[in-house]
Amino acid sequence: MSLSSVGDRTRERYQATVPKHLRERLDEHRPLFLVLPGLLAFSLFMFFPLAYTIYLSFTDAEPSTVFQDGPGGVTGFFGLRGEESFVGLENYIAVFSDPTFWNSLGITWLFVICSVALKVAFGVGIAMIMTSDRVKGKRYMRSIIIIPWALPPIFTITIWSGIFSSARFGLANQAVIFLGFSEQAWLNDRWMAFASYLVTEMWLAYPFMVIITVSALQAVSDELMDAAKVDGAGYFHRFWHVTVPSIKRPVMFASILTAAASFTQFLIPYVFNRGGPNRANELIVLHGYQEAFNFNAYGAGAAIMMSAVAFIGAFMIVAVWKGRLAEGVDGP
Amino acid sequence: MTMRDWLSNRVRNDVRTALEKPAEWRADVAYTIDGMRRGTIDPRDVAKTVFATMATVVFVFVLLIPVYWIFIIALQGEGATLYSTDSAGLIPEQFDPAAFIWVVGDIAIPGAIIGITIPFIDVEFYLSWPRIVFLDAGNYVDSTSDFPRYFWNSLYISFWTVVFAMLMIVPAAYAFSRKEFAGRMKLLYGYILFTQVGAGLGIASVIALYTIFSSMGVTNNRLVLSLYYAAMAVPFNTWLLKTYMDSIPTSLEEAAVMDGASPFRVAWEVVLPLAKPGIATIFIFIFLVGWMEFIIAQLILSPEHYTLPVGLFALIDEHNVPWGQFAAFALVYASPVVFIYMFAQRYIEDGFSFGGTKG
Repeated sequence: MSLSSVGDRTRERYQATVPKHLRERLDEHRPLFLVLPGLLAFSLFMFFPLAYTIYLSFTDAEPSTVFQDGPGGVTGFFGLRGEESFVGLENYIAVFSDPTFWNSLGITWLFVICSVALKVAFGVGIAMIMTSDRVKGKRYMRSIIIIPWALPPIFTITIWSGIFSSARFGLANQAVIFLGFSEQAWLNDRWMAFASYLVTEMWLAYPFMVIITVSALQAVSDELMDAAKVDGAGYFHRFWHVTVPSIKRPVMFASILTAAASFTQFLIPYVFNRGGPNRANELIVLHGYQEAFNFNAYGAGAAIMMSAVAFIGAFMIVAVWKGRLAEGVDGP
Repeated sequence: MTMRDWLSNRVRNDVRTALEKPAEWRADVAYTIDGMRRGTIDPRDVAKTVFATMATVVFVFVLLIPVYWIFIIALQGEGATLYSTDSAGLIPEQFDPAAFIWVVGDIAIPGAIIGITIPFIDVEFYLSWPRIVFLDAGNYVDSTSDFPRYFWNSLYISFWTVVFAMLMIVPAAYAFSRKEFAGRMKLLYGYILFTQVGAGLGIASVIALYTIFSSMGVTNNRLVLSLYYAAMAVPFNTWLLKTYMDSIPTSLEEAAVMDGASPFRVAWEVVLPLAKPGIATIFIFIFLVGWMEFIIAQLILSPEHYTLPVGLFALIDEHNVPWGQFAAFALVYASPVVFIYMFAQRYIEDGFSFGGTKG
């Protein structure tokens, strides 16, 4: 029996068993079935845990309850549910009345604002250098300068934790001693540790800004530039009135994305000093993580995570909405 | 053109360009000097350019000092610490490969005996060879690292991540690029959105993910972890491959259809071979997901299944960090990533100017 006759047999059976109107619908949407496996897997690992986080945030889940054998069946999510019980808004009330949460949220927003400002300034600065006519071999330098982007985050962040080591010959200490100051215990002081987070975040994320800005700068109209030159505009004048308006939108877009990345920064504080000293620098995601896995309060941790998602979601919506508004005002 | 031809052509072109560059530069310099002598080029202009270029080179070096520094420490031997200038200065004092030997361990082909029985005539052959040792670490260092074990774990996870992800992504990208179906544009926009917010949402749901994995008893299961990585790789890579397939002209497919090829054959024998460079690109991206991910891996894996990132972090989490060993470990871990990246870079940069959502 040849393979094609098997195919024919299957097709016949398909046509016999599946009603015509349903068959037509299926055939119409057949390409959708090529997309579904990926979509289902992604939903399973992205949306289901997210929904489960919402569920956990309304329960008293902790390791002693959540890993017990639960009721089973449909109400027990087929054995997924343990012995945790529903506590309503208790977790949210506890979290919102806890000053460490507000401290964490405050330090996270401060981190976002400072790091985005630094990243934009640094990224645009480097991009200006890397597109300057005065610099030769900039293609090669461009490919070298975005190396930090390619390196595994855990690699770069562990190295930076060594740079900010309190040891006498950590790189940061070598630098301050060279400049004539005394050595520092970088990660034991709250604001020193915060500053070291900022420097590391900036180093990790500038390549993204550089790539976006370089491609925006290359699109700046030469005619406009030449016209400004003929009119006698100086360098800074040209930068402000020709370059900035044409790169504003891509840079804004990149800033919003990189702000979201900064908001969910976890690895830097975790690797450096677990958000220390004394939990003072726990960025919001790390705060939720520590509540869950260090203090065994899964419910409270989930409530913190959901609050973080709500805050960053609101920020993204406002930013995108504002961005659209700006589009309408500026015109294309 | 096969994949290998394509790759070797690329490498050959890159090497040729690199070799021709010095001559080009020499010609440039000669032209400039000649111009200055004749007075057609202003020396002040040249001086400005030279100064700007040199300043930029210095700046690039300063920016990358962290990488340079860790390289120097790795070459100071196993015992390098941050407590003496001998081993942590910016100017190397000595070159000692001991730390790298500690990382890699013995390099050897394991000995084996293989028995071959020819059926029916009862003749048996035995093939055996001894362990062939290229490098015996014991001659240089007292102990070796767990790097090889972590390496195999990482490789195992990355391999299955690629298999799972390819099975999901390639058909989906084809459908997005060539077919029309309900909700196509909405899905595509959703995927593009999740390339940006996926990582943040993923880490926000880490508590639930851990709870689910624990309740199902699949913590420490490397295949489940691979499936998770594959699922997380879907939005970005589907979109990337779709934009690549969009750039393949449809005329060949039309010809194949005219010749009576079935839709499956058109996809398998026409579109897929033409999409190989795009598939190679997403192969690299997907492989690197498993190679670089740390947070979920350290949460659900037990020490015997640690991947390289988790092993690296375990080194630095000790109270007395062995910096020489750490530096060598980190460099060996990251080096394949850098090599792949250096080669793939121009395609990645191209990726940023892709048309994106069009049509």
